[in-house]
Amino acid sequence: MRHLLQWSMCVLALLVVTPVMAQEAEPAKQGTVKAEDPRESLVRKIASELRCAVCQSQSVYDSNSGLAKDMLKVVRDKVHAGEQEDDIRRYFLERYGDYIYMEPVMNSRNMALWAGPFAALLFGAFGLWFAIRNWYNPNTKSASKADKNSDEATSGDMKSRIQKELDSIDM
Amino acid sequence: MGKLWKFILLGSIVLILVLMGLGLGRDTKKIPTALLEKPAPILRGPALAGTDTIDIADYKGKWILVNFWGSWCGACVGEHPELMRLDRLIKERDDFAVIGVDYKDTRRGAMAFLRRHGTPSYPMVFDPDQKVAIEWGIVRAPESYLVNPDGMIIKKEYGPLVRNWFNTVALPLIEAYNAKKKPGAS
Repeated sequence: MRHLLQWSMCVLALLVVTPVMAQEAEPAKQGTVKAEDPRESLVRKIASELRCAVCQSQSVYDSNSGLAKDMLKVVRDKVHAGEQEDDIRRYFLERYGDYIYMEPVMNSRNMALWAGPFAALLFGAFGLWFAIRNWYNPNTKSASKADKNSDEATSGDMKSRIQKELDSIDM
Repeated sequence: MGKLWKFILLGSIVLILVLMGLGLGRDTKKIPTALLEKPAPILRGPALAGTDTIDIADYKGKWILVNFWGSWCGACVGEHPELMRLDRLIKERDDFAVIGVDYKDTRRGAMAFLRRHGTPSYPMVFDPDQKVAIEWGIVRAPESYLVNPDGMIIKKEYGPLVRNWFNTVALPLIEAYNAKKKPGAS
């Protein structure tokens, strides 16, 4: 029991001391990191926004596929040649369409896709409101019409049928 | 429920079913090209065999089939007999040319592929780092583009060319183009 207690204390001490030591070591590590080449940061930005055409939801920057690596090389070459970010993005758009962007672009088709479900929801809510109003408000046109129809039915065939049934009962 | 509401409800259900049907029929691996009805991009590069430089501009005024392939691509083996047929056809027709682009490949691998399956006489560009393939928006092999005499891309083929491709796919497009270009045609 005493050994177990000693071991537990040691593990607890390690758990407390390790993060503290890591925090102390951090400033020294930060000091040795070199500032990133701004061109490389632009390459990363553009490539992270481009979709790897042969992968599942991975960007050109994150993917290890051959096509993504070669696309990254094209992006890097263009950035180093001094081409503008928008021109590089347009280069890929003109070849692969808007599929190549990780984020959907704002165009009429995409707007319809985004707004469609909300419009359908609104339409459904309106329909439901209209239906509920008809069910609970007998003064509405269609409700009174339904009642009138049912009265007519009752007064016609139904009444004679009820009478027939009553007559057939042996009192 | 009024007739109009029934019609709207039925219409909505039909619309949802049609959209679902369209979605199910769509091949998600097939990325629609943005190059259709646009001028063909630059195609200039070293020949697969020899030291020549091949340039699509040298074939201006002709119908050009640009075929992207690689020795690593299994479907390209199935497509090769059709390309060999087209190679025989271009010797009979002045208005039609084929340019092959061997991409993401090694010369050794490509030459071994051609030795095994037949070497066509049409020019082939060697594109090991896919620069030409990316320029043309290629995703997978084999893929092909048909370029008209005005230098416009009018058709993209995803996957291997179908059997008798020229007669079934290219010829109707060529005839439609010629009819449109004929003097007096609207």
